[in-house]
Amino acid sequence: MAAAGSLRRAGWGLLRCPPVLRCPAQRAFYASALMRRASDEQKQELPPSSSQQRYESHPPGDRPDQEPQRSHHSYTDQGGEESEDYESEEQLQQRILTAALKFVPAHGWTADAIAEGAKSLGLSVAAAGMFHTDGSELILHFVSQCNSELSNLLEQQQKLVQLGQAEKKKTDQFLRDAVEARLRMLIPYIEKWPQAVSILLLPHNIPASLNLLTSMVDDMWHYAGDQSTDINWYTRRAVLAGIYNTTELVMMQDSSSDFEETWHFLENRIADAMTMGHTAKQVQSTGEALVQGLMGAAVTVKNLAGLNQRR
Amino acid sequence: MVCAFLVNSQQLFLCLTGYERKWNLQTEQTSLRFYSTGMTLDNINKPDIDRIIRVDHAGEYGANRIYAGQMAVLGRTTVGPVIQQMWNQEKDHLKKFNELMVTFRVRPTILLPFWNVAGFALGAGTALLGKEGAMACTVAVEESISAHYNNQMRTLMEEDPEKYKELLQIIKKFRDDELEHHDIGLDHDAELAPAYSLLKTAIQIGCKAAIFLSERI
Repeated sequence: MAAAGSLRRAGWGLLRCPPVLRCPAQRAFYASALMRRASDEQKQELPPSSSQQRYESHPPGDRPDQEPQRSHHSYTDQGGEESEDYESEEQLQQRILTAALKFVPAHGWTADAIAEGAKSLGLSVAAAGMFHTDGSELILHFVSQCNSELSNLLEQQQKLVQLGQAEKKKTDQFLRDAVEARLRMLIPYIEKWPQAVSILLLPHNIPASLNLLTSMVDDMWHYAGDQSTDINWYTRRAVLAGIYNTTELVMMQDSSSDFEETWHFLENRIADAMTMGHTAKQVQSTGEALVQGLMGAAVTVKNLAGLNQRR
Repeated sequence: MVCAFLVNSQQLFLCLTGYERKWNLQTEQTSLRFYSTGMTLDNINKPDIDRIIRVDHAGEYGANRIYAGQMAVLGRTTVGPVIQQMWNQEKDHLKKFNELMVTFRVRPTILLPFWNVAGFALGAGTALLGKEGAMACTVAVEESISAHYNNQMRTLMEEDPEKYKELLQIIKKFRDDELEHHDIGLDHDAELAPAYSLLKTAIQIGCKAAIFLSERI
């Protein structure tokens, strides 16, 4: 009975493939092994939606065994055998990954850290088998969490501005603060972060990591007040993504106190970007003025030659 | 149409603090509020609405450029004021979709610079065939756009007419405007254009391709 129930749950796990974590075939096998365990720490969570923002309730590494009580999710409707506080496979994975983050400074972004995380939750070390051996899912989980945290932070700042309790920042200051806030989330893991970056650049991780990068940059610009609806939408995000990536690289090699050189570098890059924007506008207006001048000259010539008559 | 939306950032903010939100709506110069039973960033079918707004924005942008091209050639002829008036309506449409794009955080199509040039070229090119050519182009394009808006309205109604009521109203009004342009084109001797049916078919195929690409890219 229990085996059939666990197999069905594993089957549902295969169907609900999240965009960030992928579903390797061996998950079902290990999932069934994990389903039989102590139920006293099971709490209910919202079902993972297809959006990447579902991690927002989890501050990184914080209280991994406590989740806010939410309403039952729909998967319990699928069979009378699941108990009311059944936790789906993905929620379990999220909890394991969040717990594993504590062990990253010691073990790096590896299956070892995940195994230690599982152990800290009272699960078998074999739970790490649910994930890829290269630690990709752990890194993607972490990046996703950081992005959600950034999103919440920016939203709260916006609320304060709307309430009139805070001054509205200028665009360059806003972006600088946003990128700095986001990069500061890497500080606890900065030793092992180069390893994480190299893993994220593996071909099979590139779609997911690119997705996370673009959504983060989109968030930053949105809260900075970007309302462009033309090609600027793309150029602005591309420029900010470039600034973020280069600053991240500088940060990994920075040994100054509190990463002062990194923030200095960031300030210069943002200033460069702003200058580039202004220059582009100036070039455009000069170009327009030039075109108008040429058109005026052409009309004059046509008038002189008597060609400009109303048809 | 505009009076259906409240333009009040205070009320919008008070509406938002009541419950958890993933995104906050920008309340800069253009704050739109849809009634709480309608579309909010959280409860819509985001991929579908994304596509709809992206392709409609691209379409209005292209229509703008087509009329600009026609005006560049025929602006000082007798048919100039007619084209100008239709162009002004298209400008209003584009403005509306710009607002919607910001409100729903929709990515614009990356082909916009291409539609910029292609639209102007189409408008100027058909205008060089004479005013009948320009009117034929208008008829072809407006017919495509009306059919496209009708399809979108069908999709939205199938999904949830109540939730998408405001968007449906917007699209309906724009479709009616486009049909009006289509009729104006016919009134101004569009069918007398050289190779009318060939021209019309070619333009409509181009429109279909543009719609297909703009939805995705």
